[in-house]
Amino acid sequence: MRRLFALLPGPLPVRVIVALFALALVLVALFFLFEWGGDLLDSGGVVGPGQ
Amino acid sequence: MTRTLKITGWTMIGLGVLILVFLGYQLIGTNFLTARSQDLAQETVGEHFVAAQEGIEAVDTLPPPPVEFGTPESPPPEDETPVVHYREPIPEDGVAFGVMLIPKIEAEHVLFEGVDRATLKKGPGHMPWTPLPGQPGNAVVSGHRTTYGAPFFDLDQLVPGDEISVETALGVHTYVVRSSLIVAPTAVEVTDAKRGGWLTLTTCNPKFSARERLIVSAELVDGPNFAYALAEKHFMPAEAS
Repeated sequence: MRRLFALLPGPLPVRVIVALFALALVLVALFFLFEWGGDLLDSGGVVGPGQ
Repeated sequence: MTRTLKITGWTMIGLGVLILVFLGYQLIGTNFLTARSQDLAQETVGEHFVAAQEGIEAVDTLPPPPVEFGTPESPPPEDETPVVHYREPIPEDGVAFGVMLIPKIEAEHVLFEGVDRATLKKGPGHMPWTPLPGQPGNAVVSGHRTTYGAPFFDLDQLVPGDEISVETALGVHTYVVRSSLIVAPTAVEVTDAKRGGWLTLTTCNPKFSARERLIVSAELVDGPNFAYALAEKHFMPAEAS
């Protein structure tokens, strides 16, 4: 993690902001991944054309 | 070569951890979210019952059905008093409007209006385009099988004759399971209107997969609209229901 942080461009404050932004992106991606995966596991049992 | 192996190793470990976190969240973490929603709903559903009392109305009457048309569980009235169709107000989307009890699988869940993703995370949801439980026709309720409280985890254990009761603002409606079947997720015909009073429960099948749907169909055998549903089944032409 430290090495990845060191690879980020710019001075320390910019790197911190970029790192936070990247973390937020990863969390959002994880959220959608989990929702999508959750639907494969159990979609709620609804019956319909879009299921 | 060593570096490539190291990167591959760490990637595999990372993916493994991600899958474990995913399964932990889906199979354990979501249960806490739903338990909290159900606890809160236990309070609000009582408020809904009180608020909905004012909106309950008698909307139709029919002559009583012949005695032989009744079921052994609850025969229809033997006098000639017309049977009444009572209707309760349609709840708003996402609102807790009833409590379902399935003694065989020790399941008790607050029901919510709607089957969108957010609503089903709180508990079983009623398909808004079908009649409410307790009303004549085919009321459809969907619920998660293995995540978000897994309200229908043991639904496959229900067999014909098992009892399901639903309490709404109108009263307690008792159903008896008539059949269960497995269909494709697109089999919308299970939600079609039916004559009489019916409750259709739908959930994912098999467990831990959304590949199919398990459908449990139960018939109304007691409750405020039982006699009316029975009379409707007897007197109304099939295409009218």
